[in-house]
Order: sequence, then structure tokens, then C-alpha cells
Amino acid sequence: MEEYVGELWHRLVTRTADKQYVDAAVSLDEISKVAAIFFRALGGDSGLNLSAAAPTRHGARRSWKERMASSGERIELSWRDGETLRLPETIALFPERNLNRDLYLWLVALSAANVDDSLPWIVRNQAATQVTLMRFPGLASKYYRLIDMLLPMRVRPESLSSAEAAQETAIREALMKPGSILTLPPSKIAFQPVPLWMHPNPPESKNNKISPSDGAPESTEAEKENSAKSLRKHAAERAEMPDGKDGFLVMFRAESLFSWTEYINVNRPQDEEDDMKNAALAAEDMDSMTVARDSETSVAKLRFDLDLPPAGEDDTPLGEGISLPEWDYKKQILQVDYCRLQEFVSPQTQPCKLPIHLKSTARRLRSQFQALAPTRTWLRGQQDGDELDLDAWVRKEADLLSGNHADSRGTFCKQVHQQRDLACLLLADLSLSTDAYASESARVIDVISDSLFLFSEALCATGDRFAMYGFSSLRRANVRFNRLKSFDERYDDAVKGRIAAIKPGYYTRMGAAIRQATTILSKQKQSQRLLLLLTDGKPNDLDRYEGRYGIEDTRMALHQARQQGLRPFCVTIDREANEYLPHLFGAGGYAVIRKPDELPKELPLLYAQMTR
Amino acid sequence: MMNTLPFYQSQGSEAELFERAWRNKLPLLIKGPTGCGKTRFVTHMASKLGLPLHTVACHDDLTAADLVGRHLIVDGQTVWSDGPLTRAVREGGICYLDEVVEARKDTTVVLHPLADDRRILPIDRTGEMLVAPPSFMLVVSYNPGYQNFLKGLKPSTRQRFISLAFDFPNAAQEVTILMGETGIDEMLAKRLVSIAHALRSLRDHDLEEVASTRLLVYAATLIKDGCESTLACSAALVETLTDDPETAIALREVINATFGQ
Repeated sequence: MEEYVGELWHRLVTRTADKQYVDAAVSLDEISKVAAIFFRALGGDSGLNLSAAAPTRHGARRSWKERMASSGERIELSWRDGETLRLPETIALFPERNLNRDLYLWLVALSAANVDDSLPWIVRNQAATQVTLMRFPGLASKYYRLIDMLLPMRVRPESLSSAEAAQETAIREALMKPGSILTLPPSKIAFQPVPLWMHPNPPESKNNKISPSDGAPESTEAEKENSAKSLRKHAAERAEMPDGKDGFLVMFRAESLFSWTEYINVNRPQDEEDDMKNAALAAEDMDSMTVARDSETSVAKLRFDLDLPPAGEDDTPLGEGISLPEWDYKKQILQVDYCRLQEFVSPQTQPCKLPIHLKSTARRLRSQFQALAPTRTWLRGQQDGDELDLDAWVRKEADLLSGNHADSRGTFCKQVHQQRDLACLLLADLSLSTDAYASESARVIDVISDSLFLFSEALCATGDRFAMYGFSSLRRANVRFNRLKSFDERYDDAVKGRIAAIKPGYYTRMGAAIRQATTILSKQKQSQRLLLLLTDGKPNDLDRYEGRYGIEDTRMALHQARQQGLRPFCVTIDREANEYLPHLFGAGGYAVIRKPDELPKELPLLYAQMTR
Repeated sequence: MMNTLPFYQSQGSEAELFERAWRNKLPLLIKGPTGCGKTRFVTHMASKLGLPLHTVACHDDLTAADLVGRHLIVDGQTVWSDGPLTRAVREGGICYLDEVVEARKDTTVVLHPLADDRRILPIDRTGEMLVAPPSFMLVVSYNPGYQNFLKGLKPSTRQRFISLAFDFPNAAQEVTILMGETGIDEMLAKRLVSIAHALRSLRDHDLEEVASTRLLVYAATLIKDGCESTLACSAALVETLTDDPETAIALREVINATFGQ
């Protein structure tokens, strides 16, 4: 949403800004990675993220043309707060591209300088300039070139009223001789923005800050519940922070709607209720998922989300559907043919390439994982081989000379390929809970798809056989098993397209999915078979598949998998996983990733540790 | 080697600790990032104490026989030939195993009897039992940076050593090192060090390995030889540290920011 609004603004601004050199424009997108590294290298806080600033009204004089076109009244200023460094989305101030690019780098360098924040704005910028030029003398030539270009573009002091002229002169002086101006002469009309300086946090944003409870009264309650939720809350809260004066209310509203849907957690009717105890258990679970139950919006959204898609728009079902048993821990019986699992494959997904933001990590992983790939090794003491095994020969001779029995091993070396005899099936949880925000910018589902991508890249490098499936469920009759890559498919662009197209589904009937995965994986002939489960929470579904029941069924499914000679392992981002995963997977059978956005990187490494 | 003491800029009390370890017959483990001066330190100390130094660069295929020795065939006869470890024990010198984690775990086990209070080296092939003289010292080093992925040092090996952690020298010391090693002027040395510090703040975030003192020495050497400074830094630092084109651009900007264009 933020991006969308930003884009609208961007279009608006660039179209109307007649003063800018659109042809020479440099956008933040194309330079962001370089800028971020540059920022950190120059001593900037590595925790800061880089993002585009929203245009702010500057209130300075404009040319009559601009006034007529009602343009030029806003400018994207650069500023930073505790969490973000904001830079203009595009810079097209100068007629040459490299000057605009230099301006970006200059702003980045300036914001990396550590200057006392309590200083007045103009003094702080001059001080930052001085510090930067002193530490990085090579920037001086860039800086003065930018100033040489900038000054003729500014309104000349002679054409302004005296107060304004004094101000403008002071600014020019401060730009040319940083450190020379101690105060800015007062003037009623705001001075022209200085694109070479950092703006203090735009004051408007403070007045405009909407208290988080404004739009979403219920959220405060949910907020208290647990840290996972406060994380999502955070994502919603941050959205209004950078906003300019007006027009952004809309954006905030939308964000808040999104965050509502995250809190939703579903009224779960127990249609196959067993007893009151069970109900109490469910109620307990619901408590921790408090939601805006009164809110019509969320209910409507909910219903919309949870209806099964009409057959025409649904994924293509493969085959008739498979009947699977389910374990009832109370009765201690395996209920035969209790679940129905349907394998799907997403139709008409666009084949795609690896997302760009993963490319460098993927490359690194590939080179690391090549070390795991089957390598040629020398086998010594062979009866026959390419080269003489001198050690063996010497040993033999020495043994003969010393009167010992020569051992019967040969004296040749042979080069062989050492096989990694391994198959891995990765099962990803695609339940609705993955729609929640894992970090400020990414939903769990995005993190999962990134993880799948990097995992595949890494495994391709090792040459291990692997398959990937996703699952979600809606009651026992609809366990959806989404094929992303089977063992026999190549990891090609079509598979990548399917990974890119995964979307949050319904609930988490883990047992059934594990049983199906077990069936598929146990058909593989490799001696080591790894069943890797990627999830964000406990097993649950509408029909009593909650709490103990779900856990016990999953446990039974895992037990059966182990009996088949498979090795299950779980990777989760659920912070409370330590409460129930030891019961399911055993103490060493799972890993909890504390920071969900590190999952994509961690998953391949975990795999490497497990399989080396 | 014995005549002139190799240049070494002390970072603290490491030389004193090394001497104490040697006097008290304790084996020493030195850890630190690549190119921070571990090997130079050992060379320097060996020279200072007047001990012969046997260096082994460890690698995947290093076998116990490579360390201890093996039989060779000479004139149809087998002749025992000492490996570097055995030679160091016999001579009472320093045996330095560089990047010891690279060696296979079973190889490092031959160090165990030498690295505890027994100080013996049993040679299975010849049945010999060497007792290390008082002047023998075992020194191993490793880079903790990349040992966590696929390799590690067995705890039982680790616990036999006293450990010394090295890091890159501070700015003033690094300037001295650059000047001492290459003879460049102080101004240039300071600039190179400031680049190194900028790049080192990218550790773990954008770069896997950061600019080592050794790379700075390389850059300084190129510049001293008349190479243009940004070109020298690009060759010695940027391209050495990253393969990613965008990261390289950013690193070059850092260098431009220091040297100008």
C-alpha cells in the first residue's frame, strides 16, 4: 500500500515538476543497495533501513509558473529518525545523471555523520558537512561541484525582500563555507529547501500522528496479548509515522484494515463437539487470539477469506483425492479414512526467475553448498586403480622386510565419486496465519516463499533429491496439499513460478499433511530421507483439530514417519514452539528461528548442518 | 631469518603471554580474523626466542602422517622421514599449525599427547616415543570467522591450549604497521586505515570477510610502487572482498570518498 501511494505521489510530482530534469533522474530503487552499503561503511547505524521520503510542503516562494500549475509546493526531503533513513524517491535536480547520483551519495554520507541532534538545524547540517568532508576528503570535489550547480538554480537574494534575502545569503554562505553561519536570520516566508542538507524530522508529521487506537479500538486489547502480536502491531503503527500533512489518512486507514485482518482469528465453531472439556480447551485457545469480533469489517473479510474458492478459480486438483486416517488420542484408535486430502497444483502460474532481492544470497549459498556436493575422492589401498598407493606399497614392503604378514590390501589409488545418498521433502505450512506480518515489511508467507527459493537454490548446488509441498486445510474433508515441486521435477522457472504464487490458505491439519508427505517420501530409494516441516504455529483446524487433539494426531503421524525410516525435522518461527515441539519432534528434532526474516538464510544452513 | 627480527607491531601483552607460555611449556592457540598478523606474530616470536619454526598450513587432506612422518623408499630400503611436527619436537623448536580447523578432526588428535602435560609424541610406525624437550612449543591458529559453517575444533583439542584472541590493530597501530611494512607516508597510511575501518563496519552485514591488515599492506605496496591509489585500492580491497557488482560499486564509492576522483 505504502508503495502504491508512494508511486502515485511520485508520478504526480514528476509530472508536474517542470523544474526537474526527468531524463537525468536517478531513482532510489536503482541506487538503494549501493546507498545502503555506502551508508553503513561511512559509519551509519546498520539497523536503519532506507526508504523513500514522502513529499512535504515546504511553503517557500515558487515561481509564477509553478504556482499556476500548483506544482513545486511539495518537496521530498531527506531525513532520518531512529529507524529509517529517508531519501527522495527520485532525484532529478541536475541535468546530469551522475550529479543526481552524487547528490544521493552526498545525502547518504551526510546522514551517516554523527552530529549532536540537539543543535539547531542549520548548524547541525554545517557540522555534519564539516565532519563528512574531514573524514572523507575525497567527497569535497563532489560537494563543491554540487554546490556550483545548485546555487545558480536558487532564487537570487537580490530579487527577494530583505529578510528573505538575508536568509538566502546565510544559506548560501553556509553551503559554501560550512561552519560559518551560526543562526538563520528570521523571515516570515519559508526559505527554499536545501536539497544538499538533511531536513529535521518534518514537523508536520508530529501534529498529524494518529494515535494507533483511533482507527482500531479493539487492537489495544489484542496488543497486550503477546509479543508476536505486538510485532504485527508495530508494522501497522509504523505506517503513519513518515506521513506528510494530508492525503495520508487514507493510507493509514488502509493499513489499519490490513492489521485488523491479522488480528482476526476466526470464530471457530466446534461442529463435532465431544464434551465440555474440549470446548473449554478451545475457548482457552481462542482467548489468546482475541479479535475484533464486533467489527463488521473484519467479520466480512473473514467470511470472504475462508470460503473455499469456486471450482473454476481454484487450483487444479490432481486425482481423486486421498483418504487418510487420523489418530484420536482419547479413544486411542486410528480412525480409518477420516480425512480427505486433495493434491493441487497451481494452474497458469507464470514461470519466473529468482526474485532479484535473493540473488546475491542465493549465489553465496550455492557456492557454500557446492562443498557438500558429491566430490571426487581418492580411495587408497585398492587392488586396482589409476595410481600407485605409495604408502600402501611402503607399508607392504616394510611389513615383508620386518617379517610380518603383508596385509592383503592393494597398492593402488582409485578416484571415485562419493555419493550423498539423500532425499528431502520440504513441507510448508500455508495456513491463514502466514498472512500475518513477520517483520515490518514482510508477511510470514513472503518469508516462507523466500525460504523455499533459497532452499531450492542451495539444494540444487548439492545435487540432493528434493521435493516441496505446501499444505493447509478446512475441516477434515478438505486437506489441501499443494505441489510445488515433486521429486521428479526439475527446479525450473515453472517451479519458481509456483513458489512465487503461494498464498495463505486456511488452517493447519498437520497430521494429514505429514502422512501424505510420508507416503511420497518413503517411495524414495535414498538411504537418508529427511522430512522437513516449515511452520509458524501449532496444528489446528475447525473441527476439534485443536489443542491436544491436533498435537496428538501430529505426533502419531510423525511416529509413523519415523517407523518408515524417515527423519522428521521441524523449523518454526513460533516463539512458543518450545512448549509443544519437544513433544512432537523430540528435543533435537526442531529449530526455532527467533527472527522470522532470517528464516530464508537460516533454513539452508540448518539443512547443511543436518546432512553433512 | 635469525639475523633480523621480522617487523611486528605489538597490540598489547601478547608477546609477554607467548613467552610465559613457552617458558611454562604450555601450548598456545591463536585465533583471529585472516590477515591480522597471527602468522607474523609467531614468526616474530620464534625469531626473538631464537627457536627454529616449523610451519604447517593445514588443509582438508592433511593426514597424521603428513605431520608425524612417513617411510620413504631409498635404494629399495624404507627410510623413515620425519614430518614437521616430529622435527620440531626433536629440535626443540616451535611447531606452528596454521588454520588448524582445516585439518581433519582425526588428524588433530595426534596433537593431544603433545599438548597436555605428557608432552610426548608416540610414533606408531617406528615404535618410537619422543619426549619433547623444554624448548618445544606447539602453536596452532584458526580463524573463528568461517569455522562455524562446516568445520570446528573438537572441544577436547581446544581445551588443551591456552588461547589468545587477535583482532585487527587499532588505527594508530595499523598506520604504524603500514608505514613500517611498506614505507608509505603517514597521510596515505591514515587514509588507507580509514578506508579499512569503513569497510570493517560492513562485517556480517554486507561482507563476509573484511579488509585485513594484510590487504592494506598490499594496497600500500601497490601505491608505493606508483600505482594510482583508487586503482590500487580497487584491486587490493574491493575486488578481493566481494564478487557482487553492486557491493563493489558501493565499496568503490567509499574509496572515492577518501581519495577523491
